[in-house]
Amino acid sequence: MKRGIYRIKGAGNKGKEPGESLGERLARLFEIPGEVCGNRPKVTAIGRGEVLIENFKGIMDFQSNMIRINTNNGIIKVTGEGLNIREITNEEIIIGGKISNIDYDA
Amino acid sequence: MFLVHLWNYIRGYVIIIVDGRSIERFINICSKRQILLWDIVRLDAASAEMKASIRGFRLMRPAAKKSGCRVHIKKKCGLPFFLYRFKRRKGFKVGLVIFSAILMLSVSIIWDIEITGCEPEKIPEIMSVLNADNIGRGSFKLKLDPKIIAKKIALNVEQVAWVGVEIKGVKLFITIKDSIEPPVLIKNDEAFNIVAERDGLVKKVEVYAGTPRIKEGETVKKGQLLVSGKLESKNPEFGTRDVHALGKIIARTWYEESMPVSMVYTQKLKTGRTHKTVYFRFLDRRFKISGGDLPFEMYETVTEEKMISGPFGLRLPIGLIVENSSEIVEKQVELTLDEAIDVTIETAREKLRKRIPADSTVVDEMIKQYEGDNGTIYIQVVYECEEDIAGLEPATEK
Repeated sequence: MKRGIYRIKGAGNKGKEPGESLGERLARLFEIPGEVCGNRPKVTAIGRGEVLIENFKGIMDFQSNMIRINTNNGIIKVTGEGLNIREITNEEIIIGGKISNIDYDA
Repeated sequence: MFLVHLWNYIRGYVIIIVDGRSIERFINICSKRQILLWDIVRLDAASAEMKASIRGFRLMRPAAKKSGCRVHIKKKCGLPFFLYRFKRRKGFKVGLVIFSAILMLSVSIIWDIEITGCEPEKIPEIMSVLNADNIGRGSFKLKLDPKIIAKKIALNVEQVAWVGVEIKGVKLFITIKDSIEPPVLIKNDEAFNIVAERDGLVKKVEVYAGTPRIKEGETVKKGQLLVSGKLESKNPEFGTRDVHALGKIIARTWYEESMPVSMVYTQKLKTGRTHKTVYFRFLDRRFKISGGDLPFEMYETVTEEKMISGPFGLRLPIGLIVENSSEIVEKQVELTLDEAIDVTIETAREKLRKRIPADSTVVDEMIKQYEGDNGTIYIQVVYECEEDIAGLEPATEK
């Protein structure tokens, strides 16, 4: 579902700076959380040892001290020690280990 | 999290090691293809360890090919792999089937019958009702209908007010409520006489209704009128009235038994040869284990039951029955006169005891010895008893 919506929207937005898409604007209008309607990633950090990222596109780099994840809003870089992927599915990824940074690359 | 682990264990999973330059690509392709991966740990620059479901592992091949990675299994975990080990063992499977069959069978039969609430004398009667329907230890629970059993018992056993039949687990519970027999109705408007049931010397006369025709100290013959049902008034002009005579006539009665004294006595002697037969008992059935047919013509058998006792004082109806038979030989023994007389007296006494009614008490015993026509000696044993000789008889108009 989400993917289908994204493709239609994405076709129009191609080449533009990442801004508010139609879906996101609609979501704001109806006060729906952004990650439900748009394809923006939701990053949840639980304590220091677990980061859950929803709506991701794919992993770009996987090392034991750094994981880079591609999302619609750019790349999220998680750094730390002894990182591992607890679980990975189509929509979400759970990263475990001792996390020191969660960075958004421009 | 524990539940997830348990689920994974039940479904089965593999720990795999992926070698290659582009492990990220491999993971991405897997996640796009709905292959669940978890616990991914980077081992070094060119390899990673991860877990995948069995189904996921089967679908992994194209992903590995596309990303140029090599996948190999490090370990197989979970229930399916554990069970696979037993797949080849036929004996294990057969055992499993036999075990479950025995379990099912033993759970679906009656192991014990418990009868409560009634006098112990009634239990054989109840058991015979059950046996008539082939209900006993070992009958299938499914075939039993408690309501029908209860009805049958209530119909066939006398003096039962209420029967409850219940199957609890492997036990059949029968609860009986005895009913009290209604008292014999005495119809006061019908005339009844009391007559003597047997010959005797009247010791005591207790009359509750009717006119006594005898006095204490009189001897009466069997059938003699003792108490008349016609109640006579003191004033002759009122005439008589028919009543139901009631009373107790305690009388001395005599029972005698004469026997010739036999000098020869047949004695039963054990030869010392014994034979052991062992049965295996399961519920009410028994199967011979050892010991063939009995080689003796006459024998005495002592039966010994060795039952398995379960926990909590439970007695299981499984065990061994050991029958010890010992051979017996009859031997004619010559007795001296005194011995022969003693033996004769004992047998005569035994015969008498069977004849004496239950409600009478033995007061005295007399033993006489006399010689018959052809020289044989006879022993006569006489028991003097005290008993109620009152017997009811409808009064006929005279």
